Amino acid sequence: MNNDLFGFEINVWADAAARLGLIVGLMTVVVMGLIYGERKIIARFQQRLGPTRTGPAGLLQSVADALKLVAKEDVRPRSADPWVFELAPYFVFVPIFLMFVAIPFALRWEIRVLELGLFYVLAVSSVNIVGWVMAGWGSDNRYAMLGALRAAAQAISYELPLVMSLISVGIVADSFNLTEIVRSQGQVPNIVWQPLPFFLFFVAILAELNRTPFDIPVGESEVVGGPFVEYSGIRWSMFFLAEYAALFILALLGAAVFLGGWAWPLGEEWGLGWQLVLTALKAGALIFAVFWVRVTMPRLRIDQLMAFSWKVLLPISFVQVLANGLVLVYEPPQHIANILLAAVSGAGLLLVVWIMNHSVGKPRPRPVLSPRAATAPTATRSEAAR
Amino acid sequence: MTTVPFPHEHEFETQDLMINMGPQHPSTHGVFRMVLQVDGEVVRDVVPYIGYMHRGGEKLAETMDFRQGIGWMDRTEYLAQHNAELSYVMAVEALAELEVPERAQWIRMILCELNRLSSHFMFTGAFGTDAGIFGTAFVYSFREREVILDLFEEISGDRLMYAYFRPGGLAWDVPDNFARRVAEVLKSTRQGIKDMDGLLTENEIFRARTVDIGKISAADAIDWGCTGPVLRASGVPLDLRRTEPYLYYDQLDFDIITGTNGDVYDRFVVRVEEMRQSVRIIEQCMERLRPGPILPDRLPRMLRTPPGEVYLRTEAPRGEYGIYMVSRGGNRPHRLKIRSSCFANLQALRDMTIGSYVADAVVILGSLDIVLCEVDR
Amino acid sequence: MTQDDAAAQDAEALAATIWTQVDRALSGVSARPEPSVRDLIVHIPPDELVRGLRALKHDAALAFDYLRCLTCVDNEDDGMDVVYHLYSIAGRYNLTVKTQLPPDNLAVDSATGVWRAADWYEREAQEMFGVRFRGHPDPRNLLMPEEITDSFPLRKDHPLAEIEVLQGEGVAYSEEPA
Repeated sequence: MNNDLFGFEINVWADAAARLGLIVGLMTVVVMGLIYGERKIIARFQQRLGPTRTGPAGLLQSVADALKLVAKEDVRPRSADPWVFELAPYFVFVPIFLMFVAIPFALRWEIRVLELGLFYVLAVSSVNIVGWVMAGWGSDNRYAMLGALRAAAQAISYELPLVMSLISVGIVADSFNLTEIVRSQGQVPNIVWQPLPFFLFFVAILAELNRTPFDIPVGESEVVGGPFVEYSGIRWSMFFLAEYAALFILALLGAAVFLGGWAWPLGEEWGLGWQLVLTALKAGALIFAVFWVRVTMPRLRIDQLMAFSWKVLLPISFVQVLANGLVLVYEPPQHIANILLAAVSGAGLLLVVWIMNHSVGKPRPRPVLSPRAATAPTATRSEAAR
Repeated sequence: MTTVPFPHEHEFETQDLMINMGPQHPSTHGVFRMVLQVDGEVVRDVVPYIGYMHRGGEKLAETMDFRQGIGWMDRTEYLAQHNAELSYVMAVEALAELEVPERAQWIRMILCELNRLSSHFMFTGAFGTDAGIFGTAFVYSFREREVILDLFEEISGDRLMYAYFRPGGLAWDVPDNFARRVAEVLKSTRQGIKDMDGLLTENEIFRARTVDIGKISAADAIDWGCTGPVLRASGVPLDLRRTEPYLYYDQLDFDIITGTNGDVYDRFVVRVEEMRQSVRIIEQCMERLRPGPILPDRLPRMLRTPPGEVYLRTEAPRGEYGIYMVSRGGNRPHRLKIRSSCFANLQALRDMTIGSYVADAVVILGSLDIVLCEVDR
Repeated sequence: MTQDDAAAQDAEALAATIWTQVDRALSGVSARPEPSVRDLIVHIPPDELVRGLRALKHDAALAFDYLRCLTCVDNEDDGMDVVYHLYSIAGRYNLTVKTQLPPDNLAVDSATGVWRAADWYEREAQEMFGVRFRGHPDPRNLLMPEEITDSFPLRKDHPLAEIEVLQGEGVAYSEEPA
């Protein structure tokens, strides 16, 4: 039983092993690069330099950090539940890596082409919340417990807008196969006619990744790191690795589903190198946007976050799914379908922006300037007071 | 219609969770501890604990003569040192009946207002972090604060512990390039205030987190003895620079900022607007600054005061900073009580916090802008 | 200067203050005025203190609704003064109220029922000076550890003991042959 790996005939098991090895190796390097990139980018936003000392331009900083984390003592609180505490990192780490199976980097560059690839990615991605709750419960720490419960509530809430936004794209593309979805947007990427699902997707991945403004489960100033507060050394670094791997994967997913993946605008004829460059650029733009939001936004509160998901994002995403369903069922001509989608999407997006301006952030009058005359002391009184 | 109880209603019990925040917690601004009793995410009760920084400062000040006491004031209020020194030296001047030269008074006003700016920048930065911005507000604020601290260092020789004021005047005159340097500082400060407005005040999420949070009515704020921006945010225009003018504040044109709602947002915006007023005050002071002596002609080598007592208060960035000084004659106070502005503001924390969320507790504490050294003394 | 001159001077100084209004508000309370550098001082005996403070707060013309500060002064053999600094936000009046406690009975009624602000100030004064505030809702230590209830560090007879001992030991060590 042989398989085709990048043009070579190879035994099916060796093929699987080679692909998984490639992915694990790639991930480690990519995560280190992401951490370095994040530190540099955030430093620039904050008028700092970021790491400069370790290696040329601080390039080896992530390596040094990784070495430090591996060398650190792996501490477990005495009152922690040993099994739950020790196993929790794996429950976070493994589902994230399983997501990679269906993610395409370029044409025919994925581990396995799955007909229900989108479905598979969504299904696997929500498993890691079990690990978060295990970490929170097993640590026997109240901050960790609070953080884990917040994480569970948040993950369940934002899973729905995420699924809805991806389903609406899948409906139009007529397939849940990621390669097919990319191919379907050869001329125009989905973001053009359906900006609303893209916005929902972006907000939802911020929540899935526990990034600002949704970093409520790990909020440094409130629950001091949340479920990870008791972890150290290699176990903590597994959580960290999983977090950045998830960021990378979801950015790749967004690039493939909304931004045209490797196909747009060059088309599929261009070589593998160009395809990889396109994917990297699009995923990089998404990752940059995540970093950008992180440095400029304050954190929402848990009830506001839930309300925003259930009362705003979810109903609006239903409207989008409805419009896409109409297109699927009645099959109007292409340009009419596009206009319908764009109209619904645009209206929904404007509605979200309006809600954010007027309901989430309540407008307030500026404070009163008390003019001089109103507060100047009267002579008799100030004399009397002495 | 009869209501049928949920079958498990009486078997299913919930329990409040006690969460201990501090004394080492990223957002307790020093060694402050509060024990939150939470029902899920809702705070049912707060018990604040202070005193981790208590150094017996009042007792120490009773053993120091009037010049040594100045340095000690810096250490009680390490973010508004000039304002703290001002209360102290003015108390000594009131007891010893010293006349202060005009130039010294103007320089004191400039430095106190600059200190208010640097202290409020510290607040905006720390508050941004409390609200969850990853360090950006902090770094932007600190850049502006650093510019001001550089100026203080050029004047007094130290970045934080200035000990620059003296009973009767100043330790020495300001450098020759003072006017140019102040103009530079104000230029960067104006930009910094604009940055803070753009980064925080105008932000939707920031408003969502602060508006209608931690409200306290004017009557409650007065009853708890709150002062400064906390009281003014509730709509009480009590600013000692206006109500009991000291130095030359009565000659200047500036506004007292009051809020309308008494919530966290108002406390933040009142401080930001106060910074604009401070810039106005400094500009007017610089116009009126003339060359002249900075100490009285005849100043005794060892300062002694006649017996008496005075409660001298000035408007520090965090509110009324009072010095109650009792003298029995001699070169040191018989009793020195520091009326700390944060101490009184912190008392109101419990009222503000109960019923809000855990995340709000952090923001409310941040909006009080406490300096634990000053609370505990 | 004769006794009469001094009295006349005092009367003159008092006329410039709010003493007449305070005297009216404090009718029924034995109060004694004393002019000082800035604010008028009113002495009220401890057993009438809270009644007097309440009268000052609820008087329509004065309305001392704001407690600036509350503290103690240790007069060594003459007992202790408890000092209240009051302020009226509407009228912008300042007033200092003092009550003298005899050394053998360092207790006074709590003012927390008049201003809630008195809460922490009284707790602090209690642990630092050993003055008992009767009827305080939460008389635990505020700044010091809760188990220290027999030592009052801000009293004049409380030496800066540990510092002196430590300094003494340091000297002793350096003089010993190595």
